[in-house]
Amino acid sequence: MIYLAHFYESILIDTVDGFQCKSYANEHPEGYVIVKPKYIPQDAIKGEGLKYRFLFEKCFVRFNLFAKKDNVNEYLKQFRQKFPDYIHDSKFHDNWFFVVPKSKIKKVHDSRKGLQELLKVPKNDLDKYLTLVVELVELLTNSGVKSTDLGITHSTLLGNYTPGRSDIDLIVYGKDNGWRVLDYLKDAKHSLLKWKTDEEWAEYYKEHKTSESSHFTEEEYVKHMKRKKYEGMFGDTVFTLFTVEEPEETWFKWGEEKYEPMGLVTVKGKVIDHYNSHVRPGYYEIIDGKITDNHGKDMDVDGSLGIKRVVTYSIPFVQQALTGEEITACGLLELVTPTIGDRYYRVVIGYFDAYVSDRREAEFIKSGL
Amino acid sequence: MHFYESTIITTVDGIHCQVYGNEHPEEGILVKPKYIPTDKISCDFLPYRFISGKKMNRLNLWIDKDELKQYIQTFTGAYSEYIFKSPIHEESPLFFIVSKNNIERIYSPKEGLADLMSMPERDLDEHLKTVAQFVSFILKSGLELKDFGITYSTLMGHYSPNISDVNIVVYGKENFWELMEFLKKNDHPDLRWKTYEEWEAFYKKRNRHVIHKKEIYIENMYRKKSEGFFKGTLFVIFAVENEDETWFKWGEEKYRKLGIAKFEGLVKDNKSSVVRPGCYTISNSKFISGDDSCKDLLIDKIAFYSRDYCMLAYEGETVEVSGVVEEVTPIKGGKYYRVVVGYFDAYLSERKNDEYIRVIGD
Repeated sequence: MIYLAHFYESILIDTVDGFQCKSYANEHPEGYVIVKPKYIPQDAIKGEGLKYRFLFEKCFVRFNLFAKKDNVNEYLKQFRQKFPDYIHDSKFHDNWFFVVPKSKIKKVHDSRKGLQELLKVPKNDLDKYLTLVVELVELLTNSGVKSTDLGITHSTLLGNYTPGRSDIDLIVYGKDNGWRVLDYLKDAKHSLLKWKTDEEWAEYYKEHKTSESSHFTEEEYVKHMKRKKYEGMFGDTVFTLFTVEEPEETWFKWGEEKYEPMGLVTVKGKVIDHYNSHVRPGYYEIIDGKITDNHGKDMDVDGSLGIKRVVTYSIPFVQQALTGEEITACGLLELVTPTIGDRYYRVVIGYFDAYVSDRREAEFIKSGL
Repeated sequence: MHFYESTIITTVDGIHCQVYGNEHPEEGILVKPKYIPTDKISCDFLPYRFISGKKMNRLNLWIDKDELKQYIQTFTGAYSEYIFKSPIHEESPLFFIVSKNNIERIYSPKEGLADLMSMPERDLDEHLKTVAQFVSFILKSGLELKDFGITYSTLMGHYSPNISDVNIVVYGKENFWELMEFLKKNDHPDLRWKTYEEWEAFYKKRNRHVIHKKEIYIENMYRKKSEGFFKGTLFVIFAVENEDETWFKWGEEKYRKLGIAKFEGLVKDNKSSVVRPGCYTISNSKFISGDDSCKDLLIDKIAFYSRDYCMLAYEGETVEVSGVVEEVTPIKGGKYYRVVVGYFDAYLSERKNDEYIRVIGD
């Protein structure tokens, strides 16, 4: 059975239980939306070791998958007990996802409509932050992408931004549009548009050690980051672009394939197509995929089947490698059995369960650039 | 029916409303629409704001009266269920109402503050830290956390640090007066009161300079301890009435408009002047000018909807009031007369600039 359930990624959803969630994929199981819970009311579950935020009259726990693992584990344990409806055990993956059952959706914050509403506000009624948002949108439309194919999300949409501190989070609807904007930004000139210099990326690397960046030398990190154009500065405000897939262009349909987890591996291969690497989940099509490390676990891998894809749910690893480049990836090896077509292997980085296991520190994607 | 003033309600139509009284009819909650989506009706004379993902008009009662009148007419057509015809007023003034069915969410100042104060300080931004520290200070008055709330942008989360005010709600008139006493007598290194110059700037806004004598006005304002700065952020403290202390109960009186007039009188009691609607009890009233129908009347109460007139006058002071004169017929007790300042419809007519309360001396 193939489920055809599209819901744009990066969209904010309020649930009847008071959660604020963000959709985490463009394809979803029937009746559910795969999400990452962003904020959960403190009165629902206490968040030992997690940060708190005061939003819209309530104290929320910010659900941060990068918090101390023991704390995330403990929180997740309570979450599963108290809100089992928000966990979906996928029969196609032998894995679990955070979801919002459609019956629990209270409100969907429409990013596309939100931007159109913002663009209608006379400029003299906008504060400095919203003025920047509008100017940035105007710049992006110079790429040829229409403002109706752009959206705003997170605090920009909800209005709880802090000028000078909050990022501007924009959505680009459609993969072609996404690449058009990203390509345009490579050469775009605007007095407010700035990109981090090599030195600034190096500084950032030193100051923001993460489990992802730990796999990179400073030089490697700078090389990877400087060519990405999904995050930049407009004025003194950071902006981030999220590309989402239109219903007719999702790179898989939920239920079309079954995935059998094999274990943690490191693979090497050559990217033959990076077209889908700017969405979540995104992927790199590879050839000559070889397991270089099975991390101490014997796996019954069928050598006659190729490792064809490196898939990422983790934003730091989108747009990480380009066609023609060698790629190294460490993640969960899965045997993929499509409804139609041949079986193959793929490596997945950033499933939710990775954040509560040793895979959190192990997973990465690196280009041989 | 009791429902706390200063609570914020969002409606199923996306309107953000501020509860505009503590006593309400059974049909719903009396409110002032604060932000109105522009998808149905839109007005270029009103300021626009981008809130909750929507382009909204901010209902500013101080725009040109004719433009406001035009907008309210359009609003009435588009949102007729938000207009309330009061059966207890012989000729209903303009009231806005949100029926229970139209409530999307209620933002409670009390619950909001309780949640805020439960947070670790390290997770608060500068604005919220200022709020938490100010509340910690006023808790030294002996009042409890449950006696306080926060409202407007701090509650709703769309504040701008260094720009937005901090709006504190005190539950209970007695509590409020107790807090005012505390603030008169206690200091804090981060607390300062508005200077003469700052009050002077405030005085020059709207039509205050037309109504009040500058020195008296600034002196009246200067003694208020409901407005000042904490860590450089403006704070304003409002009182709301608990259910057992509202100065009137909706439906226990009937009101008949007799005319428009100006009176003066001696303030007997200002205990209820800290809330909205607020009230001064007066004696020795004297007709100054206005409709003939009012000239032989003795006024017992001054009611007002504008917070400008909260705690303006104290017992023993003489005030002058200009507004709508009403005959009040209680279910129990005898008839009396009152002057009302600031019904919504006043802003749609010449009354906008003619209605006021001012202190004219001891």
